[in-house]
Amino acid sequence: MDFPQAIQLRATLRENRVIMAYNGTVTDELMLMLADMLKARLVANNDTKRSKLIFSVFMEGVQNLIWHGNGHEDNSGMILITEVGSEIIVMCGNRVAKSKSEVLKERLIKIEGADKETIRQMYREGMSNSSAHEGPGAGLGLLEIARRSSQPIRYSFQDVDGTNVDFILAATI
Amino acid sequence: MILHIAATDRTPEILFTENPFHFKLAGESFPEDVSVFYGPVITSINSLSVAPQGPLRVEMVLTYINSSSIKAMYRIFEGIESYRKTGSVVNVVWKSDKDDDIMQELGEDFKDRFPELDFNIEQHDGSSI
Repeated sequence: MDFPQAIQLRATLRENRVIMAYNGTVTDELMLMLADMLKARLVANNDTKRSKLIFSVFMEGVQNLIWHGNGHEDNSGMILITEVGSEIIVMCGNRVAKSKSEVLKERLIKIEGADKETIRQMYREGMSNSSAHEGPGAGLGLLEIARRSSQPIRYSFQDVDGTNVDFILAATI
Repeated sequence: MILHIAATDRTPEILFTENPFHFKLAGESFPEDVSVFYGPVITSINSLSVAPQGPLRVEMVLTYINSSSIKAMYRIFEGIESYRKTGSVVNVVWKSDKDDDIMQELGEDFKDRFPELDFNIEQHDGSSI
């Protein structure tokens, strides 16, 4: 990247009011570090209730990247937190196998179309369900994100090469 | 003393004492490996039902818990519910900060899942995430 490109990147980060941007290998250690940074930033905002929502969404999003990123050829993930108006958008993205993305998409469609009360019911049922989905949270993480968001979750699947898909999940708080 | 695990910045303090039985879990919960952390806790709770001896008081004071810890917490509550089913008196107090809607709602969710437990949700003053 040359200087004009770097300046352009900085301008893009500034224009989009980027609070946090990371792309690379997502590890447990990284999560702890970013969590501390985010906490410090949120404490400054002085809105405890909302800070807790943002923190919770961030943690589940990053944990999804850790659990579902491993074993893949390109196990890096993207974490992006931006401000839009008075809202915070938390985006988490990674590359997933196309076969896995179909299952994920089905699940997201269900969550996307559900109202808050239905999501809470799905969540309650998910608390006891230990094997329905991959990962230690076994499907509860996406519901946690949906539950804490002020708007329905948004997502995108973009084909990379026929076998892999770039996935991004966005939550608004 | 049945079990005492000191708090870390990502795991809660767990205090489990006898005469009378008192189980307390307090703090934040997002361990790197949930089964390593909660395995012994679940085992010790489950062992209560083998030889029931008197009432059990449960105190949960959480400030943050991730989704995989919630699964483990569910297993702990299953153990608590089993103890109640032996005919023992069980009392659960779920405490959260008055500004913490997430933890309060989670308390309601557990109460909903274990409707036969004497389950009380309390809110108290305090701050910070």
